[in-house]
Amino acid sequence: MSIMDQNGGSVIAMVGKDCVAIASDLRLGNEALAVSSNFQKIFPITDRIYLGLPGLATDVTTLKERFRFRVNMYTIKEEREIEPETFAHLVSSTLYEHRFGPYYVEPVMAGISKTPSGGFKPFIAATDLIGCLNYAKDFVVAGTASSKLYGVAEGLWEPDLEPEDLFETISQTIMNALDRDAYSGWGCIVHVLTKDKVITRTLKARMD
Amino acid sequence: MTSVFSPPGFNFSNQSRNDFIAEKGIPMPKATSTGTTIVGCLFADGIVLGADTRATEGDIVADKNCEKIHYITESIRCCGAGTAADTEFTTALISSNMELHALSTGRKPRVVTAMTMLKQMLFRHHGNIGAALVLGGVDATGPHLFTVAPHGSTDKLPYVTMGSGSLAAMAVFESSWKPNMSRDDALQLVKDAISAGIFNDLGSGSNVDACIITASHTEMLRNVEMPNQRVEKERQYRFARGTTAWKSEEIRKLVVSEEVILLAGGDEMDTT
Amino acid sequence: MDRIDYQQLRSGEVNLGTSIMAVQFKDGVVIGADSRTTTGSYIANRVTDKLTHIHDRVYCCRSGSAADTQAVADIVHYNLQIFSQTNGSPPPVHTAASLFQNICYANKDALSAGIIVAGWDKEVGPSVYNIPLGGGLFRQPWAIGGSGSTYVYGYCDATYQEGWGRDETVNFVKNTLALAMSRDGSSGGVIRMCVITEAGVERLFVPGNELPKFWQGTEVLSLPKEKAATLEPQVVPMAVE
Repeated sequence: MSIMDQNGGSVIAMVGKDCVAIASDLRLGNEALAVSSNFQKIFPITDRIYLGLPGLATDVTTLKERFRFRVNMYTIKEEREIEPETFAHLVSSTLYEHRFGPYYVEPVMAGISKTPSGGFKPFIAATDLIGCLNYAKDFVVAGTASSKLYGVAEGLWEPDLEPEDLFETISQTIMNALDRDAYSGWGCIVHVLTKDKVITRTLKARMD
Repeated sequence: MTSVFSPPGFNFSNQSRNDFIAEKGIPMPKATSTGTTIVGCLFADGIVLGADTRATEGDIVADKNCEKIHYITESIRCCGAGTAADTEFTTALISSNMELHALSTGRKPRVVTAMTMLKQMLFRHHGNIGAALVLGGVDATGPHLFTVAPHGSTDKLPYVTMGSGSLAAMAVFESSWKPNMSRDDALQLVKDAISAGIFNDLGSGSNVDACIITASHTEMLRNVEMPNQRVEKERQYRFARGTTAWKSEEIRKLVVSEEVILLAGGDEMDTT
Repeated sequence: MDRIDYQQLRSGEVNLGTSIMAVQFKDGVVIGADSRTTTGSYIANRVTDKLTHIHDRVYCCRSGSAADTQAVADIVHYNLQIFSQTNGSPPPVHTAASLFQNICYANKDALSAGIIVAGWDKEVGPSVYNIPLGGGLFRQPWAIGGSGSTYVYGYCDATYQEGWGRDETVNFVKNTLALAMSRDGSSGGVIRMCVITEAGVERLFVPGNELPKFWQGTEVLSLPKEKAATLEPQVVPMAVE
């Protein structure tokens, strides 16, 4: 068993029409033993950027704080909020700095970026544990259920979903994938980001 | 962490912990690798580079349309195979150093300069940076094409292939490459070589990227060939709204609306 | 591959599983090499140039790890450029060989490099230095190296004679390398040679289809000549035991 499976957990992000969604399970385990059913692994970075950190829980907590520190320093120095593309590179270079002693996490990012003309553009990205960025037009997944999430999302995702439809698609994707993963589950949380609001919902899920 | 700035170079602070985990017999997790077919080919007035667009994580396709032809300078480009993060960061670093070198010398930098920077960096890291590269470009001394292996050895050849699909692509080159080919013939040959990798090597797939570099102009042809397009879904797999049951909801409004209520009569500003 | 396997990476190292050679004669030296570089069983380059320029009249033949020998040759090349600029004269071959030896000996645990340095200088004329794996330094009238060399020590011992001219020496190098390449799977391709004399460096090239041929083994397996003459010409069956 890999160290990435020690605590379990999975995250998925999807693009919709002028919106993005990011969802995760809420389980924290110690191998097969479940420890908590309210372990958050998605963190708000700014109003319009959410970061999912599945992987080894100790590193999830460490990196969450590290990114908070670095984003705060960025905000103070630049006197503006960080954009999702910039934040993706911040995550990527932080992880690559530890190329030969990595943090055991596979971050997933979702955000709404501002275009120069004043519009808004959905943005999702994921990296591997040493910071290789993966931009996708459709969806990105990570965590112990990643192989299942790939399969379900590949079948269910379609372009230009409205926020409420995207919520249904991402919720059904993660819940069905998680039913086939022993190390993820125990509740789900979904965030749907649009240009003017963030909808956060905890789903009614199997608790086994 | 006391300083705001990190020192340059790699950080080994997690090493002892990770060694401890490894000692218990738990294997190291997999990093994204570009299974990859990458090629380069010399023709009458320049270089054509080519790459497939599949990135893999073990036996899973992590990215179906990634970019493997990296920018070094306007007239020098580099294809990367091996550990994806390593090819990405190594080429970005050398690209940055090449720009600084160009600024400090006031000249257009040469392909050998990029090649030397790459080989010395990879040699310093004893092959631990898993980047296998095809470097090509045109400079004051003409067109040049190199391969750089992870341990830092280089080869200079008129046609080269690298990555897991290199054998399939080399078979195409060995049978059809000719000296002084035209631009169109060279591009077609590169497309054929990459296609051989896409269809015959499991580590390579999806689309063909190409880049044509001549003395006067560099043309990046992203997805010149897309032989593996997914057919449109025949039905919609949308769920009716309300399908998913949820326990709690929180809506955070990002648009702050403000209303100013005048309490007393107030004084009007004296604008005289 | 389910993890970053460093052993796998190490075995993916590019190797010059090689046949290299250098021979001294009256007016200069002849150096030669095959042209094969391999990664495992794959030929990464079939027209490699293993005869590496170090200075105007000093070359080296590289064997072992391609990365290691290129890096060492680059360092020595750099140092000799500084040497000739500060001294105002080209470096002696022994100086070049000593630089190679210092690096190879100091880093003997980290390097896999077997190098032959050869050239001409005005102090001693032609000379050949062998720097094998551990970082020793030996002056020899002739030196062979690389994986292919083990097959041809006997041939060299039996054939080499003092007092040869240029052409005889070139032939000796060509024949030795052809024999080594035919027996060693990690050597092959073409033969590249350089003749280094006071006058300059002359490059020679023998294509893979024009290598010297030796006994090919058909006569013994075919019918005796007298009998064969009476029969229609036919394909000789392969001997199967």
